[in-house]
Amino acid sequence: MSTSANQSGGRLGRLTHLGAAVLTGALMIAGAVYAAGPDTSLDRSTDQGVFHVQLNSAVTPIPMSKVHRWTVHLTDAAGRPVNGAELSVDGGMPEHGHGLPTAPRATPAATPGDYVINGVKFSMTGWWELKLKVRAPDGRSDRITFNVVL
Amino acid sequence: MSRRAPLAGAALAALLLAFTTAGAPPTWSEGELKTLKSLWIAQLGAPPADPSNRVADDPAAARLGEALFSDARLSANGKVSCASCHQPDRAFTDARPTGRGIGAGARRTMPVAPAAYSPWQFWDGRADSLWAQALGPVENPVEHGFTRTEVARVVAAHYRGPYESLFGPMPDLSDRRRFPLRASPVGDAAARAAWARMTPADQAAVDRVFADFGKAVAAYERTLKVRPGRFDDYLAGVFGAPGRHASLSPDEAAGLRLFIGKARCATCHNGPLLTNNGFANTGVPARPGAAPDHGRAAGVRQVVDDPFNCKGRYSDAQGEGCDELEFAVVDDPAQVRAYKVPSLRGVRRRAPYMHAGQFATLDQVLDHYSRAPAAPEGVSELRTLDLSADERRQIVAFLRTLDEQPERRP
Ligand SMILES: [Cu+2]
Repeated sequence: MSTSANQSGGRLGRLTHLGAAVLTGALMIAGAVYAAGPDTSLDRSTDQGVFHVQLNSAVTPIPMSKVHRWTVHLTDAAGRPVNGAELSVDGGMPEHGHGLPTAPRATPAATPGDYVINGVKFSMTGWWELKLKVRAPDGRSDRITFNVVL
Repeated sequence: MSRRAPLAGAALAALLLAFTTAGAPPTWSEGELKTLKSLWIAQLGAPPADPSNRVADDPAAARLGEALFSDARLSANGKVSCASCHQPDRAFTDARPTGRGIGAGARRTMPVAPAAYSPWQFWDGRADSLWAQALGPVENPVEHGFTRTEVARVVAAHYRGPYESLFGPMPDLSDRRRFPLRASPVGDAAARAAWARMTPADQAAVDRVFADFGKAVAAYERTLKVRPGRFDDYLAGVFGAPGRHASLSPDEAAGLRLFIGKARCATCHNGPLLTNNGFANTGVPARPGAAPDHGRAAGVRQVVDDPFNCKGRYSDAQGEGCDELEFAVVDDPAQVRAYKVPSLRGVRRRAPYMHAGQFATLDQVLDHYSRAPAAPEGVSELRTLDLSADERRQIVAFLRTLDEQPERRP
């Protein structure tokens, strides 16, 4: 990414047309991605593939402006439930530059690999991010960003 | 037949006239219809239960609260009641940039009826229930300028019967050494000193009466209704509901389209009260000469420490149902100069606007949102909209359809 930027900057005169074409292409791709919206799957592997997380709202449809609860099922790459992990929750609206209207907290549930996130609230329509940081008792850690569009 | 034909002709002529003067009725996409339905007052329902106030929906408490609401004996000069600023014939606000009691307040008086639906009270959300809210102005030196021991004495002298049947026996306040005339932990120096000399048990007895006073006022406030506007009659027609139907003028319809579309008003002004009950820094300028005001950043600290909050000893919630407080965001830079998103129901008749009445007209408000200037402190969430003068006029035209209509006879 930075190399190609340097190249086009260095040979600007010759590459203007090519650059314009590439830029147009990039914009079209960006446009297409934007139109399709962010990946809203709630059943995904974490960024480095250390864990797999299944996320679910305990209330469907996801309520507007009401504090509610989500559930997490956490497994490792081999599909084994991970118990005793520390989960921290963050998020917000990337397009509006603000965070979550509440400060949700995750606690372990009784069943293997299960956790509950209490105190979730969405106060606007639009694209929300729910970010989880996971640290297993054996020290492995990873993070994942889920997208929720209301 | 011969009698019907002219009628049909007249109807056709009226229809043609309607089309030529008003144009075709607006059409909405599926997504827009979903948004419109979410704004309809038919979706509102009763206010959410308040587990922190066991008399919240008790009619006897509401009657007591109504009397207390307009009782000016609950003030330092005997002239200020809740109704002085929350005037029933002005949608429970005054027409001033900032409220005026004993002295000049720092914030615009808010309407009361929508408040029962909000988890947070005041522009900065420094109270988490209607009853905790009602306590604040009473002891504010520029509002009622009163103290909680004085409140307890007024209640004992004039409302003992209804009070005791709701809340149990009133403490005996006759010993002025134990219960000073003017004592409060948040009053002036003399009132604070008098409060500090009281025993914790006597302080708690007064605090309890003070909290009960607030709970009765809250019960009354919960009976106040947000009334439908012509907008709701329009939506009743759109969604085929029975009752009165209305149409929107082309300008009103265009304004509504902007409101839920390009102007992005409905991002925060959502739901049937046209508010998400959240807090946002919208870069509103400070009033000239106003003391520093950090909005929600300061308000959330106050509510977390408030002895009258949902988790406090005077709450009836017993730790359950205090989710908003339990999961409140504290220490978020976005809270600096963030203020409550107000309901837009009846907004046209509520000038001046914003948390300190900074703008005199709705056009000024829309001009501000359109330009999205930098915030005096913190970061504004607004993005420029570049609304034309026509577009601003159309949005104002739409906002007029939110005027609360007079009570309907069944
Ligand atoms: Cu937002």
